[in-house]
Formats: sequence, structure tokens, C-alpha cells
Amino acid sequence: MKKLVVILLSSGLILGLTACGGSTGKNVAANTETTETQLDADDIQAQILELSNKENDIIAEHQDLWDTVFNNVDKEEAKNSTESNYGAFLETQLNKITDQFTDDELSLLNADIDEIKRIEDQLFDLADQMESVGNGSIDGGMSVAVDENGNIIEDASTTSTPFPAFAGKDLDGNDVDSSIFSQNTVTLVNFWFSGCSPCVEELPTLNELNEALKEKGGAVIGINTDTLDGNADMIDEAKKILEEQGAAYQNIYFDSDSDAGEYATSIMAFPTTVLVDSNGNIIGEPILGGINNEESLAEVQNRIDAICK
Amino acid sequence: MDKKHGTKSKILARFRSFIQAAATLLTNIHLPNFFKGEIYRGNAKTICVPGLNCYSCPAASGACPIGALQAVVGSSKFKFSYYITGFLILVGVLLGRFVCGFLCPFGWFQELLHKIPCKKFSTKRLKPLRFIKYGILLVMVILLPVFVTNNLGMGNPFFCKYLCPQGVLEGAIPLSIASTSIRAALGKLFTWKLGILIVVIVFSVLFYRPFCKWICPLGAFYALLNRVSLLQIRVDKSKCISCGKCVGVCKMDVDVTKQPNHAECIRCGACMKACPTEAICYKYGFGETKNNENEGEQS
Repeated sequence: MKKLVVILLSSGLILGLTACGGSTGKNVAANTETTETQLDADDIQAQILELSNKENDIIAEHQDLWDTVFNNVDKEEAKNSTESNYGAFLETQLNKITDQFTDDELSLLNADIDEIKRIEDQLFDLADQMESVGNGSIDGGMSVAVDENGNIIEDASTTSTPFPAFAGKDLDGNDVDSSIFSQNTVTLVNFWFSGCSPCVEELPTLNELNEALKEKGGAVIGINTDTLDGNADMIDEAKKILEEQGAAYQNIYFDSDSDAGEYATSIMAFPTTVLVDSNGNIIGEPILGGINNEESLAEVQNRIDAICK
Repeated sequence: MDKKHGTKSKILARFRSFIQAAATLLTNIHLPNFFKGEIYRGNAKTICVPGLNCYSCPAASGACPIGALQAVVGSSKFKFSYYITGFLILVGVLLGRFVCGFLCPFGWFQELLHKIPCKKFSTKRLKPLRFIKYGILLVMVILLPVFVTNNLGMGNPFFCKYLCPQGVLEGAIPLSIASTSIRAALGKLFTWKLGILIVVIVFSVLFYRPFCKWICPLGAFYALLNRVSLLQIRVDKSKCISCGKCVGVCKMDVDVTKQPNHAECIRCGACMKACPTEAICYKYGFGETKNNENEGEQS
């Protein structure tokens, strides 16, 4: 019965909807932080969020061009950057590679920078106010997201929520737990189940992605929701499918009543893929539907590059 | 055929739109899910609803029989679904196309659209198109999911995936409004199916129930059982004055006096309401009544 339910679910929804993901410029920077300070602080934070979103929108408009800039950012330099204005930072980076753009493109980018600089000034003021109301945790000046390794998380259009905790095993019976994410620069977590044809069909692509990710210190991890709680028959079936599809990367399971188990069972559409950084945070919105064409693959690559630069 | 029976039939026909509204609500009872962008996934979802109603509608109370049938026959483990085929035969024998006329949300949707005032067109000359739906039932719901499979024997629900406008209306549109991730997943397939939905909407305004008449595989299944269903329509020849009003009002292009249990009759009862002598009524149960007067059924 459960199987029927899930099959129906995926067929009705995913098959009906997917085909090609990959629209660019999704800029949803939901505020995942919860603030418990006064209303004032909330207001300011809302404004900061709005302004940050505006910056992201500006960048998203010429995402292709900006990607070129971001790809040329020197990590070390970014870490030690003293520029407090993100616009100024972008300008410095752009000026280093002006030869890669046409004049038209340059004027577009410079217009973007001017606008971002203005927004940054406003952000700076807001951050000051924020500190005065007793919440200094906002990185007001340099609003580019930087993780603890000093890597720039380019597309700040990304939300970040912790991947729910778990302790389980992989399909070969080795213990795994949430600490697995800290071993990788980025972990692509793919939720699937054995009766879902788009899920099964993307397994070879995910295996290729795993090979490519290894070079960047990342990994793909599969979670077959049929195998939760260690159902032996389902594990056998999942292993058979993985072997048939040539997917050699690690597949894990945990208890369905764990935090991660609840997360997994609440997924409505299969396959669902999330990207997790080395701190165990899910970065960005979940990717719904098979990664089965060049467009969706390119988008996943971009997002991976943004996380593990 | 007593007078009482005829009156009851008329009452049922008169309250049809209320029954349709109630059936649509009961079929989609989890209304708050529209705002949450979540699909109800409780145990009731293992049961099929009688009408064409997408499983992926956030509010849906049960599964769509056509979607369920495709999902099971298309899976690698099964080539036939006893449960869903049995359910369809049961409903078909108990009610036949009464489901289309009274219980199906998508049928009601088309009827409401048809109420939009504008020039209406008759489908009388388009009768051959009725046979398309049997082809869709056979090919898209059964043959393609069973035989077009990947290396692991898994098929696709072809009708749901490529054709069904109800899936877009109830599933894709509300879910994509509520969820950014689903919005991001919309692609060419969505555009294609949205196009189908728009065509069906436009046609529904111009014609009466075009989807039911020509496309619906669920209607096709019930149509096959309409003749043997326990729910029948009876024409009392002794009361009939051959005025032809019933034929004139029938929007499904059926001549009820000649074929009261025609495959296309959705039991809407328009003919009963039109009949000046109450010669037409519903009849439920096995066999013939003692005073067998309905020669009409033999024709």
C-alpha cells in the first residue's frame, strides 16, 4: 500500500512537472535566522534582507557574466580582502579580468556594481543601527557570504538550513552519521525510492557526478526512502538497482523517526536532491525532479561550484 | 412505471449540480493543503475516488483510478492491477457513467465553463471523435506503460504525464504557486500540458463536455459498462408521445428513446426534466420489473 502511495505520488507530481528544471535567477533568500530581539531589530533585519535580495536580483540579471567574474575570484585574496563594500570588492575582481568581456558587457557589469555600492552603503548604515539595538551578528558591511574556510559562497540567493541529524548505516552495514558532511567540501544528497523511474534513471548521471565531485573533495550520497529503518528486502532491492544502474556511491539509511527520517518522509516529490556544505547546512532550495538533461546538470554544477570553490 | 418513481428521478436530476459540488468537495476535502503546498498522504490515499481527480491535488482525499492504474501496470513488479481494475469494474457496474454526470470533478468543471455565455456549438456531427477515448484508454493508460519500459522494466504513466489536463489544473498549478522548488522544476512538459488545459477550457466553453466525450479514458471505461450497469434509464413506451423533446435537450447526443443505456449517456437526467409525460426515469437493480414495458431497451 505504501508503495502504491509513493509510486502514485511521484508519477502524478514529478512526471507531470519536471522534464527540465534549470531556470536561472531564482533568488530566494529567505531569512532562515530567527531573531529574538526587539521589533526594531526585526525591522532592520527585514530591510537588510530586502536590500540583500535586491543585490542578488541585480546579479541574477546578468548571471552568466557574473559567473565568469566569480569563477576568477582568488580564494586566498577573498579571505584576506579588506574591502568592506561588496560593490567595491566586485569592482576589484572585475577590473582584473576586463579583457574577458566586451565593452557592452563591461558597462552592464559596472552599472550593476554602482547600484550594489549604493545598496551596500545603505546596508552599512543599517548594520550600525542593528549594533546599536543590540544585535551585532549581522555582517553588514561585506555582505558576501563567506564560509568558515574563507570560501566565498557566490550566489547569496541561497538559503541555508541545517541538514537534520541522523545516525544510521550505509547499505553495506557500515555506520554513518551526520558528521559525514564535514568530510566533504560539498555533499549532494539524493532522495529516491526503488519504484520511481525518474529516480532510477538519474542514478548513472549521479554516479558520474560523484566521480567528478571526488576531484573537488565532494561526494554524492543516496538515500532510498524504502530502506529507512533497515528494511532488509528493500535494501536488497535497492542494491540490485544501484548495481544495475552502475551507481557505486554510498547509499545510507536511518530510522524514519529520527529528525532526518522525518525530513525524508515529508518529501512529496521524487527524486529530490539537496546540496549540503561541509558544515552540514543545506544550501539553497531542494532540486525537484530528475537531473536528466544538460540544463539541469549545468545548474547543479553551478550550485556545487558556488559551494565548494 | 409508477408515477412516484418518475418524480424521484426528476428530483435527482434537478439536484444534480448540488451533488456535483458536494462530490467535488468530498473528493478534495483537505482544503488547507492548498495554502501549505503539501499533498495529503494519509491512508485514504490508498483508495481510489470514482471520478477523474488528480492524486497530486493538494486537497485530494483519494487516488485517481486512472493514475493508479498506470502507476501499477507501469511498475517493474506488476503487469496487471487486480485492485484497481476490480474497483473500476465495481463502480462501473454499480453506477456506470452516472459517475461522469454526478460525481466527477472534472466533468463539473467543464459544465461550469460551458455556462459562460457565448455562442455554443453542437457536437452532433463530431460523433466519430467519441472513439478516441477508447484508444487513449488502451494505448496511453495500458499498453504504453506496460511495454515502453527502461532497462529495469519500469514504465511511465503516459496519460498522466503527457495528456491529462486535470493534473495541471489540480496538481501543477496550485503546487507551483505554493512551492518555489516546484516552480523551479516546471519545464517544457508543463508548458505542453498547460497548453492542453487551455485548449480543453476553450473547447469546454464552446462545446458541452468535450473532454468527457472524446478524451477521458475513465469515461471510456465506465462507458463500456454503462449497458450492464445496475443503474439504468427506462423509457415507458406507453407514456411516450414521441414528441422528441428528450432528444433535443440531450447534450451528449443520445437518443434516449432508442438507446436509453447508450455508452455516451452520463445519466444527467436532462431528458427526464424535459419529458412532458414523465415517461423517462432511472431504474436501479437487477432484471426487469414485472410489467415489462420498455421495448426501447431492445433497440
